[in-house]
Amino acid sequence: MTARVIVAGLALAVMGGIAFGAPSIMSDYFMRIILIIALNSIFVLSLSLSNGFTGVFSLGHVGFIGAGAYISGILSLTVQQKQSLLPHLPDLLNWFSLPFLPATLVAGLFTALLAVIVGYPLMRLSGYFVSVATMGFLIIVNVVLINASNFTRGARTFTGVPLDTTLPWVFGWLAVTVFVLWRLVYSPFGRRMKAVRDDTVAASAVGIDVLKTRLLAFVIGAFFAGVGGSLYAHYLGSFSPVTFYFAMTMNLIAMLVLGGMGSLSGAIIGVICVSILSELLRSVERGFTIGDITVPALYGASQIVLGFIFILIMIFRPKGIMGEREFTLGFSGSSAKSNLKQGKVK
Amino acid sequence: MTHITRRTALGLGLSTAFILGTNGSAFAADPIKIGFPANLTGNAASLDGPMLNGGKLAAAEINAAGGVLGRPIELVVYDTKSDATVISTVASQLIDSDKVISIVAFSDSDSVLAIGPQIQKAQIPLITPGATSPKLPSQLGNEVFLACFGDNVQAAVGAEFALNSLKAKTGYLLTDIGTEYTTLLSDYFVKTYEHGGGKLLGQDSYKTGDKSFTAQIAKIKALPEAPGFIYAASLVDEVTLILKQLRQAGIDIPVVGGDGYDSPLLLQVGGKAAENTFFTTHSYIGAGATPKVQAFMDAYKAANKVDPENAFAALGYDAVKLMADAIKRAGEVDSAKIRDAIAATTGLDGVTGTITYRPGIAVPDKSVSVIGVKDGKLFLASEAAPTFVPEP
Repeated sequence: MTARVIVAGLALAVMGGIAFGAPSIMSDYFMRIILIIALNSIFVLSLSLSNGFTGVFSLGHVGFIGAGAYISGILSLTVQQKQSLLPHLPDLLNWFSLPFLPATLVAGLFTALLAVIVGYPLMRLSGYFVSVATMGFLIIVNVVLINASNFTRGARTFTGVPLDTTLPWVFGWLAVTVFVLWRLVYSPFGRRMKAVRDDTVAASAVGIDVLKTRLLAFVIGAFFAGVGGSLYAHYLGSFSPVTFYFAMTMNLIAMLVLGGMGSLSGAIIGVICVSILSELLRSVERGFTIGDITVPALYGASQIVLGFIFILIMIFRPKGIMGEREFTLGFSGSSAKSNLKQGKVK
Repeated sequence: MTHITRRTALGLGLSTAFILGTNGSAFAADPIKIGFPANLTGNAASLDGPMLNGGKLAAAEINAAGGVLGRPIELVVYDTKSDATVISTVASQLIDSDKVISIVAFSDSDSVLAIGPQIQKAQIPLITPGATSPKLPSQLGNEVFLACFGDNVQAAVGAEFALNSLKAKTGYLLTDIGTEYTTLLSDYFVKTYEHGGGKLLGQDSYKTGDKSFTAQIAKIKALPEAPGFIYAASLVDEVTLILKQLRQAGIDIPVVGGDGYDSPLLLQVGGKAAENTFFTTHSYIGAGATPKVQAFMDAYKAANKVDPENAFAALGYDAVKLMADAIKRAGEVDSAKIRDAIAATTGLDGVTGTITYRPGIAVPDKSVSVIGVKDGKLFLASEAAPTFVPEP
């Protein structure tokens, strides 16, 4: 326990150091890469709660991210911007402008509420059915974003969101996400989630409320997706409904599966690997020269190589890089297995 | 079966990262760096690809003629993959790592909106060859310039062409509400057409990606009086389908639109249905073009082995020439001076027309080409500046 506290403390100190110290020593480019990795970590961690730990393979996660981004975007525009960009906004919304933190919290709470409404019927489904149904949710969100043009400018670019997302903000929210999810996943409730995932019938036979367990995981995941969506909106400043659609969904799922579906550190490692790899490939595809050999620019090659690496990893390491284990730096792991070994499980 | 452990996997990844990361590119001595981010993959690729080829051609010509201020110019190209996140990362790479002096970027307004805040903050001037939203400079700030006309101008020319050349006093409007460009185009068209005395018999909408337009066409057929023409604010993928389905339904009236039609796909996919279609665009590139355009076409073909795909090739070419001209007039490689020099551009003769910026307005006054389709070929139907231009 103490070891774990030390590790957590160290991690926080390092993150804090990077967040506040980095701007003075690192270029804006590296800051952005780190920021995007942290932001994607929030997305993938919140996705792992339902898809990895509870066995509800949701394809609708990006719907929550999109909803969060738009809610927080609408709330954060200044009153003048609302008049020029969203002239038909209802009176209820057009007279005020929220600062970053409250807008983010409202976005998270809204998406959590949305998840309760959507999840209540959908969480009764299992397997492929829940995937297809949640994909339906994503499509509905997209269509609503395009057609509710009084609120969202329709398919046109939603622009003018203040660029408030800085490294300390994202790291702060990432720390909150990791802390909450860690406490949740490695708790009796977490074991209920995994029981539901591994065998629904057996889980309900021992008295676990399957619907409630799945719904709670889904709703908490949606809350952090909404929060992440708000951070993303304030990072980009301008976005449109197509930003939050299948391409993003596939990207997040690839990161999750690559890192390992049943591991929080795996989720983060998946994000780091995919992000760094795609950044490097993006630079390499512009062509380069080693000695006398000149490789010409081959745009689009990065996507192909990345896809190929995904295939290789799925063939040779189908459980992803971490599988169901956690990255512990040699300290006692707190996966369910090692808890069992050490007799921590009552 | 070979088994890769967690540690090997991580180790492999990190060592690859190290090898790739440490291998920097070599640069020639002391060129003037101009950033050229472009969506070379993704949904804007068919416009940005030709645009980049045009830009490269211009840079090659400038360097062959001795460069600018005695130095060669270098286009720093990145593929931004039609993705807002990649655009923001590339922007910081260009500004921080490559230290570009100015940027030429993109053919669509969404991408320019995504890069805008960063170049504005870094105070680096940007010329967009093809993003036609006249609202961009007011939305982003004083560093953003258009090398092309604004949508208000081309929509006005389209409307006046319908009124004066097609003699169509009644029209029908079909709008793609899926993009910023088509929505704006449609708004500007309505303003000019009604200002000029035309009457819209009705209007309808659809979204980018729609495949069937039966409902919209049924509404047109059900009109008590047949309209003189249809203005379709569309992108090329949809307009070819619209044309096919319209002609099948027996509606042969002219269809008019904007530079979104300007792609080889209009004739390739539209085929016979594309007859009697007119669109406004930046320049007429084809048989019987002006000598200046013909020279550009020959040079483009020599460099790329293909004819210029569309007017965006010419726009990319003009935008780089415009930037080089501004650097020359600025007298030194300094972003602020280059910005002022761009703003002061008058009478720069380009492939897509003459570029002049009126004081304080970052959208140039350029004439608009109206291109028609006849017997499966494009022809220049008219070249005009509008008499009435709606406010951006």
